[in-house]
Amino acid sequence: MNFGRSTGSGTFIPTSSMGDIAFLLLIFFMVTTIFREESGLPVELPRAEAGEEVNRELVSNIYINREGQISIDDRLVQIKHITDIIGTKISENPQLIVAFKTDTYTDYGVVSDVMEELKEVNAVRVFFNNDLEGSPGQKY
Amino acid sequence: MSVMKRRKKEPMGELRMDSTADVAFLLLIFFIVTTIFAAEQGLTLVLPGKAKEKTDTVKVKESNIATLFVQADNHITLDRKPIEVNHIQIAIEDRLLSNPKLVVLLKIHPEADYGRMIACLDELRLARANKVSLKTAEK
Repeated sequence: MNFGRSTGSGTFIPTSSMGDIAFLLLIFFMVTTIFREESGLPVELPRAEAGEEVNRELVSNIYINREGQISIDDRLVQIKHITDIIGTKISENPQLIVAFKTDTYTDYGVVSDVMEELKEVNAVRVFFNNDLEGSPGQKY
Repeated sequence: MSVMKRRKKEPMGELRMDSTADVAFLLLIFFIVTTIFAAEQGLTLVLPGKAKEKTDTVKVKESNIATLFVQADNHITLDRKPIEVNHIQIAIEDRLLSNPKLVVLLKIHPEADYGRMIACLDELRLARANKVSLKTAEK
C-alpha cells in the first residue's frame, strides 16, 4: 500500500518571508495608529498624593485655565452652556465621570460654578486631575 | 593563500532567514506587554446632586463637624485655628480617632486658588476622611 506519500521529497513551506510579513504588519499598524488626543487648554495641574485612576472610557474632560476660560471637547464654552453639553453626555452615558483639568492658580469660584451646573444635570461623579506622582515640584 | 583556496571549495554561505519571524514577533510581544499608556491620576468625588426633596439632605450634629476653611488669601483654618497644609492629615486623623462619625466640611472662598482646595482634599484622603462635604463660602 503506497499512497504516494513517499514519492515526493517532503512538502516545503517557505518560511523565510514570515519575518518580512510580521515586520510589514508591525510597521503598517505603527503608521496608521492615531491616538485620539484633546488639545484642551494648557494647564498646570495641582499635585496630590492620594490620586486614583479611573476608567478613561467614562471620562469627559473639562479644562479650566488660569484666566477662567473653560473648554470642553476642544471648544471654549460659557458656563451657561455646560448644562446642555454635559446633559446630553450624561443622557448617553449615566456613568459619566467629569474630569476637571484645572490650573492650580485658577480661582476656586469658577470650579464651584461649574460644579453647580453639573449638579443641575445630575453629573455627580467628578474627578480632579492631578499631576502624576514623582513629578518635580511641591504641593501647593 | 591557503585560506583563499579553501573558501572557493565551500558552497556559498547562506543567511538563515527562518528565525527572523520569531524575532519580529518576540519584539512585537515585548512592546505590547511593556507598553503602559500614561494613566491619568486624580481625586474622585461624588457631588450631592440636585436635592429633590428635603429628605435628601442629611443633618449632622455640629459636634461631629470639622470645618476646614480656605480663605481668600489662601490661608487655611481648621475650626477657626490657622493650620499648615501638611499638618491637616495628622490633625484630621486625630479628630477621626476620637470621633469616627466626624464629617469634614471643606469650605472654600471663591477667590482662593483651586490648587489649595486640591491640597486640602488630598490631605483629607490621606487621613482617610471619607465623609467630606464641599461648600463654597460667600463673598
